[in-house]
Amino acid sequence: MPSDIHSHTNNAGFFEIRMESIGGLGANLAGKMLAEAGVLKLGFNGSNFSSYGSEKKGSPVKTFVRFAAAETEIRSSSPIEEPHVVAVFHESLLRTQNCIVGLESHGVLIVNTAKSPDDIRVLTGLKSGVVLCVDALQIALEEKSRVNTAMLGALCRIIDFLDPEAVKTVISETLGRKYPTLAAANLRTFDRGFREGSISLYPAETNGDVYEPFVHPIPDLGYDSQALGGAIINPGNSITRDLSASRQGFLPAFSQEACIHCAACDEVCPDMCFVWNAKQDSRGRTFQYLQGIDYQYCKGCLRCIQACPTDALTTIRETDTYATDHRVRHQ
Amino acid sequence: MALQEHHPRPAQDMRKPQFEQTTDFRSGNEMAAKAAAQINYHLMGYFPITPSTEIAEYLDEMKANGEHDMVMIPADGEHGSAGICYGAAAAGGRVFNATSAQGFLYMIEQLPVQSGTRFPMILNLVTRAVSGPLDIRGDHSDLYYAFNIGWPILLAKDPQAVYDLNLIALRVAEHADVRLPVIVASDGFFTSHQKRRVQFFSDSKAVAHFVGETPVAPIDALDLEHVVTIGPYMNDPDLINTRYLQSQAMYRAQDVFQSVAREYQAQSGRNYDLLSAYRMDDAEIVVVLLNSAADTAKDAADHLRDKGIKAGVLSPVMIRPFPKDAIVSALRSAKVVLVGERADSYGGHGANMSHEIKAALQEAHASVKVITRIYGLGGRDFYPDDAEAFFELCLDAFAGKDVPTFDYYGHTAGKPDLASQERTTALSKEQTSGFVQVAQDPGTRQLSVKVPTLRALTAKANRIAPGHGACPGCGIFPGVNTFLKGIEGNVIVLYQTGCAMVTTTGYPVSSHRVTYIHNLFQNGAATLSGVVEMFVERKRRGEIHYDDDVTFLMVTGDGGMDIGMGSAIGTALRGHKMIILEYDNEGYMNTGSQMSYSTPLGHQTSTSGVGKREQGKSFHHKDTPQIMAATNIPYVFTGTEAHAQDLIKKAAKAQWYATHEGLAYGKILIACPLNWKAADEAGHEIVGAAVDSCFFPLYEVEHGITTITYNPEEKGKRVPVSDWLKTMGKAKHLLRPDNHELLKEFEDEVQRRWLRLTEKHANPHL
Repeated sequence: MPSDIHSHTNNAGFFEIRMESIGGLGANLAGKMLAEAGVLKLGFNGSNFSSYGSEKKGSPVKTFVRFAAAETEIRSSSPIEEPHVVAVFHESLLRTQNCIVGLESHGVLIVNTAKSPDDIRVLTGLKSGVVLCVDALQIALEEKSRVNTAMLGALCRIIDFLDPEAVKTVISETLGRKYPTLAAANLRTFDRGFREGSISLYPAETNGDVYEPFVHPIPDLGYDSQALGGAIINPGNSITRDLSASRQGFLPAFSQEACIHCAACDEVCPDMCFVWNAKQDSRGRTFQYLQGIDYQYCKGCLRCIQACPTDALTTIRETDTYATDHRVRHQ
Repeated sequence: MALQEHHPRPAQDMRKPQFEQTTDFRSGNEMAAKAAAQINYHLMGYFPITPSTEIAEYLDEMKANGEHDMVMIPADGEHGSAGICYGAAAAGGRVFNATSAQGFLYMIEQLPVQSGTRFPMILNLVTRAVSGPLDIRGDHSDLYYAFNIGWPILLAKDPQAVYDLNLIALRVAEHADVRLPVIVASDGFFTSHQKRRVQFFSDSKAVAHFVGETPVAPIDALDLEHVVTIGPYMNDPDLINTRYLQSQAMYRAQDVFQSVAREYQAQSGRNYDLLSAYRMDDAEIVVVLLNSAADTAKDAADHLRDKGIKAGVLSPVMIRPFPKDAIVSALRSAKVVLVGERADSYGGHGANMSHEIKAALQEAHASVKVITRIYGLGGRDFYPDDAEAFFELCLDAFAGKDVPTFDYYGHTAGKPDLASQERTTALSKEQTSGFVQVAQDPGTRQLSVKVPTLRALTAKANRIAPGHGACPGCGIFPGVNTFLKGIEGNVIVLYQTGCAMVTTTGYPVSSHRVTYIHNLFQNGAATLSGVVEMFVERKRRGEIHYDDDVTFLMVTGDGGMDIGMGSAIGTALRGHKMIILEYDNEGYMNTGSQMSYSTPLGHQTSTSGVGKREQGKSFHHKDTPQIMAATNIPYVFTGTEAHAQDLIKKAAKAQWYATHEGLAYGKILIACPLNWKAADEAGHEIVGAAVDSCFFPLYEVEHGITTITYNPEEKGKRVPVSDWLKTMGKAKHLLRPDNHELLKEFEDEVQRRWLRLTEKHANPHL
């Protein structure tokens, strides 16, 4: 029912979706499949693109989808500023960046989380709108699929001009060519994403407000403060970065008692997370002792678990506060 | 001459096209590849560079699936790709290439050769900011270098135009009145990576109908009946005549383009002219923009029109030759024109577009104020309100306000409290020295190295700080950090472009605790040579006073040792006192896993696909350590993180040789879990299996004498090559029965190289 879209679009004639994810979760593919469903199956006009930088798997990425009526020309190629829907594929991003910027007062926030809409509203500071929480990770684990199709299900539940069958057709076509079993699992995942999850409405005080207006990103350093030729005069400052959002649910737990301080973990860690201290042993000789893990930099690759010859390092499911409670900071 | 778009939201031209078309949803790069596949060029020579890389990737995927049969040649760099294309064009076939930014600048030396000797081809320039500092996003600073190379240039504002203009461009290039190579330029990321609703001819026959057979070339290197000298030695007074003909051909390309575009409209229903002119009939204030930004500005023009202001947007479709008359005609009502330029001609009081428009108006004695704004450099987004701000500037000028004729737009001062940053203090001698000892036996000249335990080495400061942006499980850092454990004291590093560079220096943060320089990977070794020799010379002149030596280390990927091979060999032959450390992850991973020359036979990458017609890479991996050993430098080694003590020891030796004798080169095999299609935690074991399978033997070549430092056969650890291959998704297809012969070929090559190495180990004269 393509004509339905008119009642949903903004002044420029668009219905706009922003997906917040990390590289590797399939948001890019989700955006592509959603947009293809809208354009090729349902006859809307549309565009789809992602934010690109030098960052890699595990780094934050945004995917954008614009829909418009079939006859509307799409002109702007700039990122979506004030979306109707924000879909957060990775809950940790809510802690490390502002995911709801530009979301209008009647907007919809979809989050891949086991938390409740009330919890998410508190966590994000969202004033009004709709919050849909869907445990896409759990669904994907159970169905042996990926979170992106569960998120597509949730998106179709919210966006009533998008016929879920059209999206499912595109999922089948995209995955089915090479991996028929994968397609079936992802279709089940889509259905569960569509059906499951809890939703809450928080009424807006005034119509059409954008609670956190989008502003063009302005860098901290500018022409008054950049060093000559763009040099970085305080290198080593990457220690200020928080990479914990790269983890996808698992991290290494460290047990001091079982550790033989062999440094095998330290050698294989790509992110220099292991914190050491020099201490004297009972005979007065100085040795290096492993103190723990600086989880701010841990991306959850679990190489250290493989390397550890004892039980000092084990894989655990990450809970909300584990990393902050057990973090041993680099000096 | 300008294509007038009268309606704010024009529907597509509904005149019935002659051939059936398919509606799809594709990006600019996909449409460039689609056009090339449908044309079925004879040949593409290419080298990957963001954001144009996908064009070759899509073409490789289509080729693997049998959708075209173009010859795809992965060059050793863009200069090489341009050479391949030039040769292929001189040899009479249809030739295609795609590039961006530095890649374009690297090939630019070849491009006037191609146009000057009059061989048509098509180059897709997916525009991106020129370095440095390195910026991968889209602006027009590469395109502006193209204005003087003698190639007609078409501008494609969206994915549809990328397809259409690629088809039109070939006809223009091959036209008997033109015979010139043509560039089709589209915006990096904004167009190349943005999917839009598009149409293309359903059947390639429609494309064949439009582009026709390859015309017989007047000069053809493969016309064996008519021998010919292509590219004579030509001085004055002759060259000016060749150039005069070239100049005439360039101007004729304008008429040819218009007539071909009319033909294309009849076949496709889509209309192109020299300019895209939006609401220009009576426009008094005009914004001129190239490519995608012009579309963004149309909405702003509509808003002003709603208020009764006569605003218009002008955007050239053909920029070479410059459509002078069409521009003058389109600006006939204009009072104020703002030219937004996504590139600067530094010191020129405006970049090329501004001056060419000014010159055209001056010739026509038009009284128009022309304002220049340099905007969107480095890919800074152009939002609708930026377009409105441009029109506001025009209105201010129109109202007689003092508006500077030249300025930047969108540059920012930064937060004042950050103006004075505290500089980083260098690592102390104690933090990095006293761990590893190297001594030379005065009699035998043999080096002996004492390496402490990994545990003790945790007290040695890492030269790389935490907080880099590499993928989870990246093998670069365990590899490079383990190597650096063996390096004592001061280090200055140069990283060539690649994952290690990009993930550690994303402005404004850097992970390097020692001084670091980046240069593009054609030239890192030469650049570090310059640093080394300046160190020596300034020390000799007494300008710097360091008691200790400094170790100069270049870090590069295997890609950097493809495109930068010449620079590395030159550096080796000159014998500068430095180290080159190559981390080999068997592909161009930073740009999305294209094959490198180090990719093993049959391995899957995004340019060596697996499908009906392709089973991964078609030729064997490069043996870079042996190439470097053949330059007779004092020290060559291989290593991996899986043999840490071995690697640290070799690092210490490399440092000794780089301090006392000359260049040391080492290759470390490192895992890329993402593109090897392996688990994040598996890299250490995979590179270990590569060693145990004898694919990646650990050895050193010291003063020409080869020593295998770990022999898996002697240790009883040798495993079949397939045991290593099965650990990686990129190689699993080699274990299928139908790939038995390919696997055998690979195993034989591994064994041949291993046996040769064992012979060298046994005989110091080999």
